Amino acid sequence: MSQAFREYAAPVVRTFTSIWDGLSITLSHLLRRPTTIQYPDRTPISVRDMLPPRYRGFLEVDAAICTGCQACERACPISVIAIAVEKDPAQGNQRVVTQFDIDLAKCMFCGLCVEPCPTGSIQHTREFEGSQRHVRNLVVRWADPLKPFPVYKVPKGADHHPRAPLGSLVRAKMEWQRWDAPAPEFLPPEPKVAAPAVPAAIPAAAATAPPAAASAAPSTSPTVKEEPKP
Amino acid sequence: MTGQRHERTPGARANPRAVLLGTLAFGLGLPLLLFAAVLVLSPLSRPVMAAALVRWLGQALGTGWEPSAWSATGQQLLYGVSIALLAVVLVSFGAVVSGMTVWWEMRVSSRMQSRVGYNRVGAAGFFQWVADAVKLLFKEDLVPADADHALFRAAPYFVLVGFALVFVALPFGESLVAADLDVGVFYVVSVTALVVVGILLAGWSSNSKWALFGGMRSAAQVISYEIPAGIAILVPVMLAGTLSLQGIIRAQGPWPWQWFALATPAGPLAFLVFFVAQLAEGNRTPFDLPEAESELVAGYLSEYSSFRFALYFLVEFGNLWVMAALAVTLFLGGWQVPFAGPEAFAAARGTAVLPAAGWWGLQILSMGVFAVKTLLVVNLIVWVRWTLPRIRVDQMMTLCWKYLVPFAFAALAVTMVWQIVVSRAPAVGDATGLVLTAAALLLGAAFLRKTFRNVAAAHDRVDLTNW
Amino acid sequence: MEKLILRKIEAGREEMILNFGPQHPSTHGVINLLVETDGEVLRRAIPDVGYLHRGLEKIGEQVGYPGFMPFTDRIDYVAAMFPNEGWATAVERLLGIEAPPRAQWLRAISCELCRIASHLVSVGTMAMDIGAFTPMLHGIREREKVNDLLEALCGARLTYNYHRIGGVAFDLPEGWRDECLRFLDHFDAFLSEFDRLISWNELYVRRLAGIAVVSREQAISFGLSGPNLRGSGVDFDLRRDMPYGSWALPDFTKAVRLEVPVGKGFVGKTGDCFDRYYVRCLEMKVSARLVREALASIPEGEIAAKVPRKVKPEPGEVMSRIESARGEMAFYVVSDGTDKAYRVRVRTGSFTGMGIVEELSRGLMLADLVALIASLDVVAPEIDR
Repeated sequence: MSQAFREYAAPVVRTFTSIWDGLSITLSHLLRRPTTIQYPDRTPISVRDMLPPRYRGFLEVDAAICTGCQACERACPISVIAIAVEKDPAQGNQRVVTQFDIDLAKCMFCGLCVEPCPTGSIQHTREFEGSQRHVRNLVVRWADPLKPFPVYKVPKGADHHPRAPLGSLVRAKMEWQRWDAPAPEFLPPEPKVAAPAVPAAIPAAAATAPPAAASAAPSTSPTVKEEPKP
Repeated sequence: MTGQRHERTPGARANPRAVLLGTLAFGLGLPLLLFAAVLVLSPLSRPVMAAALVRWLGQALGTGWEPSAWSATGQQLLYGVSIALLAVVLVSFGAVVSGMTVWWEMRVSSRMQSRVGYNRVGAAGFFQWVADAVKLLFKEDLVPADADHALFRAAPYFVLVGFALVFVALPFGESLVAADLDVGVFYVVSVTALVVVGILLAGWSSNSKWALFGGMRSAAQVISYEIPAGIAILVPVMLAGTLSLQGIIRAQGPWPWQWFALATPAGPLAFLVFFVAQLAEGNRTPFDLPEAESELVAGYLSEYSSFRFALYFLVEFGNLWVMAALAVTLFLGGWQVPFAGPEAFAAARGTAVLPAAGWWGLQILSMGVFAVKTLLVVNLIVWVRWTLPRIRVDQMMTLCWKYLVPFAFAALAVTMVWQIVVSRAPAVGDATGLVLTAAALLLGAAFLRKTFRNVAAAHDRVDLTNW
Repeated sequence: MEKLILRKIEAGREEMILNFGPQHPSTHGVINLLVETDGEVLRRAIPDVGYLHRGLEKIGEQVGYPGFMPFTDRIDYVAAMFPNEGWATAVERLLGIEAPPRAQWLRAISCELCRIASHLVSVGTMAMDIGAFTPMLHGIREREKVNDLLEALCGARLTYNYHRIGGVAFDLPEGWRDECLRFLDHFDAFLSEFDRLISWNELYVRRLAGIAVVSREQAISFGLSGPNLRGSGVDFDLRRDMPYGSWALPDFTKAVRLEVPVGKGFVGKTGDCFDRYYVRCLEMKVSARLVREALASIPEGEIAAKVPRKVKPEPGEVMSRIESARGEMAFYVVSDGTDKAYRVRVRTGSFTGMGIVEELSRGLMLADLVALIASLDVVAPEIDR
């Protein structure tokens, strides 16, 4: 009898005490300061300055100390960096970097490119605000093909290399163009029709399919064969 | 680019003081306006008063309207129009109250979760519910192709009607009630049962398995918990001797030891049973199985969108307020103002046809007392929601039938015995009230001490900033 | 799947077949479950996984050994230090090198911090699935603090990419140790508050006690690992029983005292949902103590061994097993002598965890199915890779 009563009453008592405890804890949280950081307009200092120095934000390249070794390009597992180094006959076969593109949209901010850089030219910064309407505008070009920069000659025995303040270069690049700037025009335009259902040519099935392919090809690829706009 | 972004942030540009004043004006003004409309329209909706008003209007405008000379249909039409106006105002009042309850719940619950909550749209995010309502209105109104079209469209209105009808009988102040029904309590209990119909219809007509699950769970829940709620309601009814809500309030007093929750030994138990049963009826955690977000996404509401969803949402939060108002009316003394008994109201009224200004002041005061008490109970419901997990269907049934119903009957029996005792020895009545009030105060103090200890144990301080 | 559904419809059975997911607030990630139910009680629930498959094992054959390290973060992004360590350990074994002691200690410290962060998500989302929304947010708040620490250490909050083949990428920054100790002081108080708020709440206990009991034999035969296995009463922890990395260093095991919490029917039966949940709560406490003790006696030294620029291990195969937050994470790597792996196979605790769902779901109620999946702490990235 008393066993049954205990089984009946014990959960009630436990319910009361645990709810009493729980309610007091939530009330105590009501009286404490919420931990929300109200980004972007109600923070005491800008969030960028609250970040730790090792924060892996946008990549930045200081062209003044880039040696053109392409170690970062080789280290990147997803081929985000594209570098082209040429010899400039006008400056005595000096090696110049004609292309140094980093696709920030594709970058996974892993930091593998920063490690092999001999001079610390490519670094992660604390910048993270860079929305663009067109994703192709997130390809940051650190070298101008019409005005390539010469590679940096590392002085003998130098252990540190003068660098622009971290973040200043990439911030300048992100702020230089409006967030809704049009996409660059020298890339091929998006195809205007959906992909054709029948591929234009299948070599393996060519024996039976050439008539079908020949009749399908002209009708399915009018825009794909357009010249890219200059 | 970051500079451009900062300029476009809305809050940074508007003058904060203007926003605050605008919010206060809207937040206090709109319900007061609607409430005043209720006050003015409720006596005027009686046929005699309506006719008098039209006569007066006729005199003011120069046209000689004499409603008593109109045909029977004309008079019925006049009556109908005045009733319709009152109904519209009541439903709007209910909607506005429900919206503001949403805001209050979200703000309070956010701090309990260590976050700030709404704070951009209007001062302290007050207009967020307006923005949400407008957004819901603009959404596409989808009726599933396989759904039962008529029932699907009708279901939200059952729920809305069940919710809005309660406002007719709720006494907001000493004389501020749309219709002081003799069977007020009975009326309220029966009308809130319409909500079940709406939920079942919603679940069934959505023609979706998930919605059906939710609807059936909810129906089982609400119907089961009507029983302990009804029995617990019998306690204040017995103590007051009347079913009329105003009568029950008048039988209590303004001080805590005169409230039914603390005046009798079964009062706390009855209040607790009533409170838990109302949580279950309103589908609030820990009884929110029908809308268990983690399981059924939105349960019986899964297929609803746009305005129909807004109606359900509105009714759920409005029910929150209605639950609290009922608890306050039945157990916590309603609008009774301390130091102002019935003599004070009669004295302030004066003998003229229209009551004196002092009487109106006392009415507003009683309305304020009612609002504050209701807000406290709303806080309690919100607090419980955001602390406790949800219980399972079978556990909910066990709780209802094996725990709440016996406790409710026990409360009823104890009340009966206590009433017999008090009729022999009235001093026992006062003593019980005082003892229970003292116990409640002690418990409250212990609770607060525990709360402050919690803050200290987490190496934190009481800090009410960061809104 | 389709055949099953058609068969049922043809047989004219009363049961409903529902899709629980893949978009669902309470399956942890994009997981689909086909639920056969007759009212509230299930007949069974068949997991249908693969919605988050990203071909990570195939990528492992294409990006080379150092290049795969950031991808290991994505194998389990809730507790990303563990796959990092697993991959580094596997490749180091292939190369026949060993990371220096300080690097191993740093790996252990970062892994234990990550275990705390992962368990916070796990217990928080479990509470949320049962209906208590507040403890989840408190857990996330603490996880933010752990993330801040790890952000100061390696620069990222979720996909750390901190360990390297041969060691770790960065040493402890200035003031990190004090910051970490301050967090740990506060964290113990938080854990006891969390327990009082939700773990011992009677309604919560009733939802979990005695639900979906996994016996010892079942746990072992289904291949469960980690807290799922220990929740069923099996006292097995890779850190103690098959030590790897710093757990194999005698200095480390002398400095830190590993306690392995094992389920013993805290409120119901051994192996029920509450046991698995509470084992995670206890593990958080243990991990906090481990980090404190490790920080107190960490040796000085280098943080990475010398590794050739092009990592080209000898042909061979290796297996590394790590005690991850969700169970045992094993990397099986086959090398063919080139700089890209021939085969990378990752065996994760969540995958085996999903395997037991169908068996356990017979006769459960729908609400209990949610509790079961939450207590197994499955995350979609680990299941699908």
